[in-house]
Amino acid sequence: MTDLTSRIEDLPGDAVHAGLIAVGAALLFLASPLFVQAPSGSLVFFEVGVLFVLYAMVLVGLNLQFGHAGLVNFGPVAFFAVGGYTAAVLTAEDPFQGVGLGLPWPVGLAAGVLAAMALGVLLGVSTLRLRDDFLAIVTLAVAEIVHGSIITFRDITGGTNGLQNVPQPVAGTTDAGGNAELVSTVLVFGAFALLFYGLFRRLSASPYGRVLRAIRADEQVTETLGKRVFRYKLVVFVYGAAVAGLAGALLVFYNGAASDTFFTIDMTVIVWVGMLIGGAGSDRGVLGGLAVIMSFQLLTRFFNDSIPFVTQDQFASIRLMLIGLLLMIIIKYRPEGIWGNADRLGVDS
Amino acid sequence: MEIPLAQEVIFGLVIGSYIALGAVGFTLVYGLVNMINFAHGEFITIGAFAGYLAVVVAGLPLPVGILVALVATAVVGWGIARITFEPMNETGAVPLLMMSIGLGFVLRNGMRVIAGPSSRRVRLDVATYRFDDLGFFVTSQQLLIIGLALAAVVVMHLFLSRTMLGIAMRATSDNEDLALVSGIDTRRIRNAVWLAASGLAGVAGVMLALSQGANPTTGFGQLLLIITAAILGGAGSPYGAVVGAYLLGIGITVSVEFLPSGLTELNATMAFVVLIVVLLIRPGGIVNTEVRTS
Amino acid sequence: MNENRTSSRDSWADRRTFLKATGTGVLATGLAGCIGTEDGDDGDGGDDSDGGTTDGGSSPDSVTFGQPASLTGTWDFLQPAASAATDLAVQEINDAGGPLDAELTVDRQDTAVETQQARETVRQFVNSGDVAAINGLFSSEIEPLWDFLQDQEVPIVTPWPGSTFLDTRGGDKGTDDMGDDEWLWRTVIGDTVHTSGAARGMLDEAGIEKMAILSATSAGEQGWTEQFTDWYEQLGGEIVKTVTAQEGQASYQSQLNELFESDFDAWALSFALEDAITIIQNWSDGGYGGQLLMEDGLRDTALIDEVGETAEGAWIAAGSTQGPNYDQFQSSYQETSDEDLHTWAVAAYDATNVLALAVHHAGDTSPEAVQQSIGDISRPEGTTVTTFAEGKDALDNGEEINYEGAVTDTDFTEHGNVWGDVVVERITPGGFETEFTIPADELKEEIDEY
Repeated sequence: MTDLTSRIEDLPGDAVHAGLIAVGAALLFLASPLFVQAPSGSLVFFEVGVLFVLYAMVLVGLNLQFGHAGLVNFGPVAFFAVGGYTAAVLTAEDPFQGVGLGLPWPVGLAAGVLAAMALGVLLGVSTLRLRDDFLAIVTLAVAEIVHGSIITFRDITGGTNGLQNVPQPVAGTTDAGGNAELVSTVLVFGAFALLFYGLFRRLSASPYGRVLRAIRADEQVTETLGKRVFRYKLVVFVYGAAVAGLAGALLVFYNGAASDTFFTIDMTVIVWVGMLIGGAGSDRGVLGGLAVIMSFQLLTRFFNDSIPFVTQDQFASIRLMLIGLLLMIIIKYRPEGIWGNADRLGVDS
Repeated sequence: MEIPLAQEVIFGLVIGSYIALGAVGFTLVYGLVNMINFAHGEFITIGAFAGYLAVVVAGLPLPVGILVALVATAVVGWGIARITFEPMNETGAVPLLMMSIGLGFVLRNGMRVIAGPSSRRVRLDVATYRFDDLGFFVTSQQLLIIGLALAAVVVMHLFLSRTMLGIAMRATSDNEDLALVSGIDTRRIRNAVWLAASGLAGVAGVMLALSQGANPTTGFGQLLLIITAAILGGAGSPYGAVVGAYLLGIGITVSVEFLPSGLTELNATMAFVVLIVVLLIRPGGIVNTEVRTS
Repeated sequence: MNENRTSSRDSWADRRTFLKATGTGVLATGLAGCIGTEDGDDGDGGDDSDGGTTDGGSSPDSVTFGQPASLTGTWDFLQPAASAATDLAVQEINDAGGPLDAELTVDRQDTAVETQQARETVRQFVNSGDVAAINGLFSSEIEPLWDFLQDQEVPIVTPWPGSTFLDTRGGDKGTDDMGDDEWLWRTVIGDTVHTSGAARGMLDEAGIEKMAILSATSAGEQGWTEQFTDWYEQLGGEIVKTVTAQEGQASYQSQLNELFESDFDAWALSFALEDAITIIQNWSDGGYGGQLLMEDGLRDTALIDEVGETAEGAWIAAGSTQGPNYDQFQSSYQETSDEDLHTWAVAAYDATNVLALAVHHAGDTSPEAVQQSIGDISRPEGTTVTTFAEGKDALDNGEEINYEGAVTDTDFTEHGNVWGDVVVERITPGGFETEFTIPADELKEEIDEY
């Protein structure tokens, strides 16, 4: 039966190749004089689409950590923020407040990823030997410390003013207006997300991934089988940190400015909710879950002022209630997540 | 002679008491129902509104108001748990956690729809007792909150050590399967846990209504500190949660004294630094009990 | 076993349908869009986002303003009064026949004062909502989104931001040329003005030479603290200590204790309403004494209700909250709403009126025309009007108008800012009582560009 499941998971060819081709095509597209204009009225979908592919990158890392290796990382936003702010501080030119070194964007991008990885190594080495629930709270605490520091050290980060004048490399490749930039951004970031999806999927389908799932199932047994559990955990943790850092840097390069509210606990909640309602451990399922929650968030905006006896002010709260209710209903009827595998998650449905 | 830091420690005990009342309930649920309840903050908010209704709207004296909030929140919290968490008790920790996140959204925003976003304060005549020779003062409101937290700890201790139900609870916390085999009705225990946890949250809520006012995010604002205290104490241990809460409270207030000017706002962040340091030194938490992992 | 197998298959099938549906959706959207080459396009992008445009002259059925709002999140308690004041303006405008004889509606969407949500909301307004203009957005949303907001090319008149960031940004630069326009205007007095007035008032009028500040970390409060410190020290005063603290704490006793270890003549409180009330109660309980000066954002009737007695004698320095039209506004407001009134709500009333008059002046709802009309209807040439009804009549008679608002006289500077006197008021259980006034003309000498 497990064979069958894994065969099914492997079915659709190789996402790494698809990802590479997509990245190549997207870069070619950027270099070419071609551009695509989104149809009128659809821009807000593309806007959310950009955020979706960035969160998706974070999520494939998180899913490798939790869905496959069982590491509870409640602070993906810490790495996302460190990547984003490192990139912003290095590349911003003359921001309103804070430091901007004005370096070229590739430097910022690389440094963002490295800084997030460094935090991952530091945190991993010191805390991965802790129990699951302690790891969860430590990562949550680190995310709070990172966010608190962004606000406090405003002479560097700009505090709640954010850091402006960050280069926008994707937007710079087309002069066809904001609308075309948005489409290009979705295409390029989406291609990278696909590539990382492929890479992480290949990793989890390999013998390596089987060790990870063994760790999730029973750490001690895996250790006695001669696998160096700690090293496996650390590598997975750092991979996730790196891709989250990259996504954070990309977000800043897309927006052209960093802002502390990009990096709040809300981001952690959204990716975790996406992962769990999609079904942790299912590579495609988690992305589906993220799509469900993010499109629900967006679509409910369109019902503003169309419900009788409810003011617009009340609707804002009702909208969030509906999101909560959606979670409760999904989890009630599919505790393992919509596309999840109950056996593997140890969930009794 | 002034006692150094006496004043900061007293303020720390006050903040610690708010956290402790929430953290004990949170950790009971964590240990006995085996779930991280992200909606615990909303139970506190319910208590804050219940206290406001009892004291300000109905005009009851504060002690009665606290009692009303305790009972009302206990019953409402238990009822909500019966509807939402109890039917899926067997599904494991992760779905329960998700359920509590969803429930938190619904309750928090539901209360905003009904009550609006503004704070409603319970006002109390405050007497200040000054000990200028010793270098500190304390107010009647501060004594009340510290006293309530201590009373809650004592009652909880007597309950856990002297009553059949309490002993059964500890047994269940240690090993649920064994407890089941020995004929303990775990369902009854879960009922007791939800009543106790929500009741304590209700008391915490009234105290917050006195200091901050009752609004839809009163309890949610305390949640991170509460979780931190509970885990710091050694998740699942009520005594540990109390120690953890006071450690955090004192850490938050004393650090204001030592942080350089302009960085004093890091004092709240210090709570999380304390947590990480403690866990690295004592990986099992302060009270090093082995509890079930989630 | 069997059951499990089918369920795996089912879930695979689900997944495939799901992917297919998503894929088709994306593809369809892509194809429906226009694909072009940059050579073949003149570079304006063929942006069809100005869907709100109507043919010049003809009247639309309705005019919509988008209002990004803090309906949830940390600042939710500020929104009820702002919503009520906006709704009051909309009501009055529609009673007077509406701009271009069309019905005015406000599409109010939650941003929770988070940058990403603000970005999505503005996109939705501009691209899917056909709004003629936007009346909202906070400092902490505007600053990181500045370039993005400029790209949208939609006029924004907002009642919220005090930030010095906007001192030299926004407005029409005083020219008719659209090329240099920066699409943002604010109807609330900037921090630069009222902190300079507050500092001057403290030193010149009250003779206070040493101060300490207790400040929150949010954009608005931090901005106030930094500006006030700058002015106060520039004018020769000394800030002996600044204690900062995060919002939302159950008690601020330890911060107060730290603050009062220093020696000063008065202390300033830069916190938003809810926490400020907690702090004032802590301050009173601790018996610290001392003269208190509060930031402008605390000029809220709720402050009087909660701590009018406790804080009696404390000062509050705010850019004049009483423009030419204030009394008229206040009496209508009290009839329609019992939400506690603050400055930003009054400014929201002004913002809505300015935009409605600008639309009527423009003759159509195209963003360019509305943007160009904002200066025309508010600056001091033409007939003075204080309501939309008066303004509409005057415009229909072919006159030029000068709208005088409820919070200021709404004479926008070239950078889209407004001036006002700074008033230091004393808190009493009955309300705010004027202590002394620092006229705007005095402050204009100090401030180079605004």
